[in-house]
Amino acid sequence: MNLAVRDVRQDLGRFSLTVVGLGLLLTVVLAMTGIYNGIVDDATALPDRLDADLWIVQRDTRGPFAELSRISGDLEERARVVPGVAHARSYVSHTIQRETPQDKPIRFTCLGLSWPDDRGEGLGIVEGRPIAQPHYEFLVDRSLGLGLGEKIVLGRDTYTVVGITEGMMSSGGDSAAFFTLSDAQRIQNDSPNEAIRLDREARFERVRDSEFARDPELVRFSANPAALIPSLGPVPISAVMVNLLPGVDAQSVRERFKAWRDVSVYTVAEQHQLILGGMVEKTRRQIGLFRAILVIISTIVMGLIIYTMTVDKMHSIALLKLLGARTSVILGMILQESLLLGGSAYVIAIVLGDSLFEMFPRRVVIENEHRISLLILVVLISVVSSVFGIRKALAADPNEVLSG
Amino acid sequence: MTTSTPAIRARGLSKHYGEGNTLVRALKEASFEMYPGEVVALLGPSGSGKSTLLTIMGLINQPDTGWLEIGGEEIMQDGRVVADANLFRRRKLGFVFQRSNLIPFLTAEENVRLVLELDDMPRRDAARRAREMMESLGVADRGSHLPTKLSGGQQQRVAIARALVHRPSLLLADEPTASLDKELGRQVMNLFRTAATQRGAAVLVVTHDHRSLDLVHRIFEIEDGVLDTSAARGASGETRRE
Repeated sequence: MNLAVRDVRQDLGRFSLTVVGLGLLLTVVLAMTGIYNGIVDDATALPDRLDADLWIVQRDTRGPFAELSRISGDLEERARVVPGVAHARSYVSHTIQRETPQDKPIRFTCLGLSWPDDRGEGLGIVEGRPIAQPHYEFLVDRSLGLGLGEKIVLGRDTYTVVGITEGMMSSGGDSAAFFTLSDAQRIQNDSPNEAIRLDREARFERVRDSEFARDPELVRFSANPAALIPSLGPVPISAVMVNLLPGVDAQSVRERFKAWRDVSVYTVAEQHQLILGGMVEKTRRQIGLFRAILVIISTIVMGLIIYTMTVDKMHSIALLKLLGARTSVILGMILQESLLLGGSAYVIAIVLGDSLFEMFPRRVVIENEHRISLLILVVLISVVSSVFGIRKALAADPNEVLSG
Repeated sequence: MTTSTPAIRARGLSKHYGEGNTLVRALKEASFEMYPGEVVALLGPSGSGKSTLLTIMGLINQPDTGWLEIGGEEIMQDGRVVADANLFRRRKLGFVFQRSNLIPFLTAEENVRLVLELDDMPRRDAARRAREMMESLGVADRGSHLPTKLSGGQQQRVAIARALVHRPSLLLADEPTASLDKELGRQVMNLFRTAATQRGAAVLVVTHDHRSLDLVHRIFEIEDGVLDTSAARGASGETRRE
C-alpha cells in the first residue's frame, strides 16, 4: 500500500491548501521565465520579421535597437547601387504615446516602410491589407487593440488602420505600427506652428546677421520651410536594411559597406547579440536572480511543510520501525509525499499559467521546454526538501512507541 | 496447549545504563524459556527492568551480554544481534501496547494488512489474511474505518489482529489492558490465550493488572533487574515445566 497517499488522504484539506500556495509560487517562477522569454522574443521580433540580410547604422553605434542611430536619408540610395544588393529600405522608429478618441491611452513604436517598394506585405498581415497609398494609412499590431478602419490623429494628420499584424513588438515591448517612411518621419518631426515660425525666424535672423546678408535673395530664401532648403539635407533616418541578391556572398558586400567611413554594418545575428547582450542582459540577470530567490523560497517552504508533516507522524514512523519496516519504506513515504506535493503544485502552476498569462500586459512566452525545465526543477526541489523530513524520520526511535 | 520445544530461550541477558555513580543495572543475567502457546505475565514495580527486558526481546535495544533464541533461530550472541533485526521483527515478532498505537492515517484493515505488505506479501493475499484475522477477532465489519472511528476495545482488537496476522513466534504485550475496564481487559487476555493456543505463539505480557492473572499460564517477576521465573504456577492453575 502507498503510505504517502494514505497519509495525504487523512489531511487532504491542509495538503490541498499547501499545494495551492506552492502552486502559486511556482506560477510566479514560471511567469518570470515566460516574461523573460517574452522580452527576448519581443526584442528580436523586429530584426527577425523585417528580414534584412544586413543593417547599416550610424558609425560606431550599435544600431537602432540598442541606441540612437542617425544616418543620412540618402544612404538608402547609396546602398542600393552596391553590387550584390537586391534592395535597400530605410528604417526609422520612434515611440509614441497618445490617447484614442475614447481617451484610452495607447503606446506604440512608429516604424517607416520604404514606400512604394515596401508596403508591408512581408510583415505577416493577418487582417486587412498592405498600405495602398503614400499617406494616411498604417498597419498596426493586434496587441495595440486598434481595429481595422479605426482612425487616430498624429501630428496634423489623421491616419487609418488598414492592416493588422501579429507578434510585431519593439524591443521595449511596445506594439509596432508601420507607416510609410515619409509619414513616419512627418509624425516624428511634427512641430507646432509656433515652433516652426520661431525656427524660421531664428534662421532668418542668423543669416541676416552673417556675411551671407550681402545677398538679399539668400536672406529671403533662408526664411523658407526647411524642406525647401536643399543645403539642410534630407531628414535623417535610423538605419538602412539591405537585402542581397541570391547567391551573393554577404561577407564581401559587408566588407564593402565597412569601407564607408560614416557607417557600421551588422548582420541580423549580430543585431541579436547586441540586443541580447545589451538591454536584455540586465533584465535577464534581474529576472534570473528573482527566479533564484523564488526557487529558494519554494524549497524552504516545501522543506518546512515536509518537515512538519514528518514531525506530525513521528509516532507512526517509530511504530513502522518497530514493526520492522525497511528504512527505504519510511524514506520512500517522505520522498513520495514531497514529490506528490511538488507534482500537484506543478500541475496547478501549469494550469494557472496557461489561463492567466494571456491576461498579463507584457507577453509571457512559455514553450514545452520551459514546462519540462520547471518539472525537473520541481523534482529537484522536492528531493532537496524531503531531506529535512528524512533526517527527522531517521532519528525516530522505536522505543518511543514502547514508552507510550 | 504447549510443546516441549521452547519458542524462546534466553541466557544471561544483562543490561546497564550510565556509568560510575550513575550506573544502573537494569537487567541482571536474565535466563528463561517460553513455549509455543504459552502466555506469560511479567510483573514488577516501575523501574524494575520490565521495559528493558521487553525492548531486548523486541530487538529494539541490545543487551550488554547474553544469548537469545526465538523460534529456533539464534538472534543474539554475547549481547550482539546477529540477525537482521528489521526482518526478524517483521516475521517473528508481534507487538501490542497499552494504547492501540494504530497508524492514524490507515484504516483498520490497512493497519492489519501493513505488517504483511511490509514483508512483501502480495496485496490480495495480505488483504485476505487481514480480513480472516479481523473476523476471528470480531472486528471485520470495522475494516474500512479509521482508528479514530473505533471504540477503545475495537482499537485494541485491531492492534491484536495486527500483532498476530503474520503468525509471529513471540507476541510482546506492554500493559495491554491498562486502559481498559475489567471486562474488556479480560477479553483481551482471553484473546491472547486463544491466539497463543491456536497459533502456537508464545506471549509475554508486561502488566500491573492483577485482575486477569488467572488467564496466564505462568508469571515471571522482576525486581531491581533480577528476573524470577520460579513462580512457575500461573493463577489459572495450569502448570508449566521449566
